[in-house]
Amino acid sequence: MNTDHGAGRITVSMELDGRHRSEEIPPHTVLLDLLRDRMGNTGVKASCERGVCGACTTLIDGVPTASCSLFAFSADGCSVETVAGQSGSGEPGPVQRAFAECGGFQCGYCTPGMVMLATALLREHPAPTDQQIREWISSNICRCTGYGMILDSVRRAAELIREEA
Amino acid sequence: MTAPSASGRPAAFGQAAPRKDARLKVTGAARYTTDVALPGMLHAKVLRSPHPHARLLTVDATRARQLPGVHAVITRDDLGGLDAVFGYFIKDQPIVATDKVRHIGDPVAAVAAEDEATALAALALIEVEYEVLAAVPDVESALAAGAPELFSGRKPRGVVPPYGTGASAELWPRPNVCYEFRYETGPDAVWAGCDHVFEDTFVFSRMNHFHLEPFVTVADARGGRIEVWTSTQNPFPLRKEIARVFRTEESAVRVNVPFVGGGFGAKHNCKTEPVAILLSQLAGRPVRYCLTTEEGFLTLSQHSAVMTVKTGLRADGTFVARESTVLLDAGGYTDGSPLVAEKAGYRIPGPYRWEHVRSSCACVMTSTTPAGPFRGFGATQATWASESQIDMIARRLGMDPYELRVRNLKALGEPFMPGESGIDSDLVEGLDLVAAELGYHERGTRPNRGMGLAIGFKDGGGVNKPAQARVKINATGHVFVSAGSVEIGQGISTALCLVAAEVLGLPPERVSYAAVDTDTSPFDQGTNASSGMTVTGRAVQLAAEQARDRILEFAAGRLGCEPADLELVDWGVRQGRTVHPLPPMIAQVFGGTGYEFSGDGFFKAPNSPEAPLDAPCVFWEIGWAGAEVEVDPDTGAVTVLKLVASGDVGRAANRLVVRGQEEGAAVMGYGQALFEEMRFEDGVLVNGEALDYRVPMAEDLPASFVSVSQEQRHGPGPFGSKGAGEGTLVPVAAAIANAVHDATGARITTLPLTPERVHRALRELPGQSS
Repeated sequence: MNTDHGAGRITVSMELDGRHRSEEIPPHTVLLDLLRDRMGNTGVKASCERGVCGACTTLIDGVPTASCSLFAFSADGCSVETVAGQSGSGEPGPVQRAFAECGGFQCGYCTPGMVMLATALLREHPAPTDQQIREWISSNICRCTGYGMILDSVRRAAELIREEA
Repeated sequence: MTAPSASGRPAAFGQAAPRKDARLKVTGAARYTTDVALPGMLHAKVLRSPHPHARLLTVDATRARQLPGVHAVITRDDLGGLDAVFGYFIKDQPIVATDKVRHIGDPVAAVAAEDEATALAALALIEVEYEVLAAVPDVESALAAGAPELFSGRKPRGVVPPYGTGASAELWPRPNVCYEFRYETGPDAVWAGCDHVFEDTFVFSRMNHFHLEPFVTVADARGGRIEVWTSTQNPFPLRKEIARVFRTEESAVRVNVPFVGGGFGAKHNCKTEPVAILLSQLAGRPVRYCLTTEEGFLTLSQHSAVMTVKTGLRADGTFVARESTVLLDAGGYTDGSPLVAEKAGYRIPGPYRWEHVRSSCACVMTSTTPAGPFRGFGATQATWASESQIDMIARRLGMDPYELRVRNLKALGEPFMPGESGIDSDLVEGLDLVAAELGYHERGTRPNRGMGLAIGFKDGGGVNKPAQARVKINATGHVFVSAGSVEIGQGISTALCLVAAEVLGLPPERVSYAAVDTDTSPFDQGTNASSGMTVTGRAVQLAAEQARDRILEFAAGRLGCEPADLELVDWGVRQGRTVHPLPPMIAQVFGGTGYEFSGDGFFKAPNSPEAPLDAPCVFWEIGWAGAEVEVDPDTGAVTVLKLVASGDVGRAANRLVVRGQEEGAAVMGYGQALFEEMRFEDGVLVNGEALDYRVPMAEDLPASFVSVSQEQRHGPGPFGSKGAGEGTLVPVAAAIANAVHDATGARITTLPLTPERVHRALRELPGQSS
């Protein structure tokens, strides 16, 4: 992080969805605002902005994190993964395809966060138990689906990842 | 109805293929109002009342106006030239407070600035003097003799819609009551013939909608026109209301609706729109106004209710008469309360045979968050009382609650009330399905384990709702469906595309749902009342049929045959055993640039003076629920071991969509039954933010949760379909309370069924030490 600027600005650098990005920002900028407002990554959703609902979930060095409750400088030098990075060469990735196939979304507002949460879950537990899926998904809120079809989507995503490995 | 394709099987309707919006939503590419940004856009914030009820003495925004970065400020002094109050039936809610504030969070002033931080800093510079008035925190205090009135003196103007036989309503019938709906049918002399009469009172808690996309509007009101991008469920009524408030023509107002991140009833009529528009007019710049979740809690809620139900029946369990009194807590402004009152009052007898019914439902103004439309729309409140009491009566009479229901349920096709349409589901068939899935009839007598059933019931399709639709098809056979129904997550864009695909004999991938904006979309009264399939869907079906007929006529002219000799299939016309592709025929006539065939459709259920609500109900939305619970006698904690929820969609357009709607609604009801509520202490909301306000999470789901989609095929929508999305919410709380009663003998009449409430009820059982 470079703080050698006038007007109290800092430079934050990160590996965003596999690409090096660097941005000069006021120090109080939260990561969510940096991603959405300055970098145009509106796939990351803003909702409760209290770190509760998980709509803004991104992976910071692989760890699911509420980007609304993290100063951008905390992600300096980190890998930041968002829903935008889950579509390799424009095609939806396996977790995204599983959510589409199983109907694990309705209004879609929680979906980018759910996709990132499921991505992290399946990296840690490639063959998760139903209990593990429930526990992990319980950190994000979906108001539409009643969760059943999200749980189905995660199970299906695990299959797709295994098939493609 | 369209002819089935040659194979006799529908090509598109009834699949479980991914939704039309799947790819946009799973990739994060779907655009919502929160994602809309215009060049030069300012950001708005609002100063809100800290008092539940107070007179506004002075508002001084001088210092706020001088803060660098501030471009416009609204106080009550800036409303000149506007008709600055809005509301559904009653125009009572000001853009910013003018004389009084009527709930905590009532807007008092608004600022547009370069960014939200500057707007917030400006709000801190606005000086407001209040004369604090006595609060009216709940229904009881609002109705007490001598209670302070939220609207004293001359009442805000309002209308009572036309009602038919037996129904009526009155504006401002008594202090702090803005609207009262009444319904009566059959002679009340039958009470004298009842062998049993039971009267019970029920209390219904209120939830926040908790849509994840906040209330948000981007407004550009420059150049004498008003254009908004907004998260709304009813763009056309909203356009009308904006035109009235800003004293302009509807043609000068354009409402664009990107994807909506959840509504559940909240996003109707004016919410964030007037402040954003007025600030944009004053600043001469586009303005974005987005509420926080905390502000959402202060903007709208479900109605809490107190309901008294008196039921008379004969010794053999035959229902005779039911008289109900419903008091809805409307909060500080009327919003959709009169409509909700109408529905709660009308629906509370439930789908049973009665010789006499009398209901009244009053909207009581309190100094709390305004209440308005919420998924279930009065039926959830009514069903909590109605279906709880049926189990209570059965147990008092030593009958099985299932038997008592079956003895009295209306048959398929029997009108709900005189002048109404017939009930279009077999109610017993649905109940049997749920009972079987639950194992209700085989339930044992293990202590603290029990099962309960309930039937949720509402009229669906909206009252007096018109919808239009347009279908157009380009030269390569790609279809655009245009309608005013908003995709709020319920899957309506997918369902309407499937209707068109089915009629046109095209695969669903060829059909797209056009963006909704009021300049170009066909008219629709609103995305509510589960009306998308049975009203807008019929309009789409008619539009597609007209387009199909025009195509066949065109092709018949080219082929020298009659249109009746042709069938449209995969963008060709089948004549006997030959299929003629359409593109070459089109190119020959219209040239290489192509052409678009189109069709228009319109649907509205007819009015009838005999129908109590002015038009017979379009369809009946039924939800059946069953629950098995275990109650911990030491703590009062209720564990739902199994929840079964079932709706009847007549015929499913898309099975993924239907399952999602039914499960999502049921889980909303499940949260309301057990823990989810807005908690007020001394009239002050104490859990109005995401951390303290508990909505269901995945870990809260019952160990076993089964949804059973029925397709009874009696619906009035395309191909026998009905609406979905609300029915399975409605019965869940009563089913769980009925199961708790079965498990313990204790009856809880107040929601939610918290451990302390259940524990208290267990201690109060006869034979328990206190």
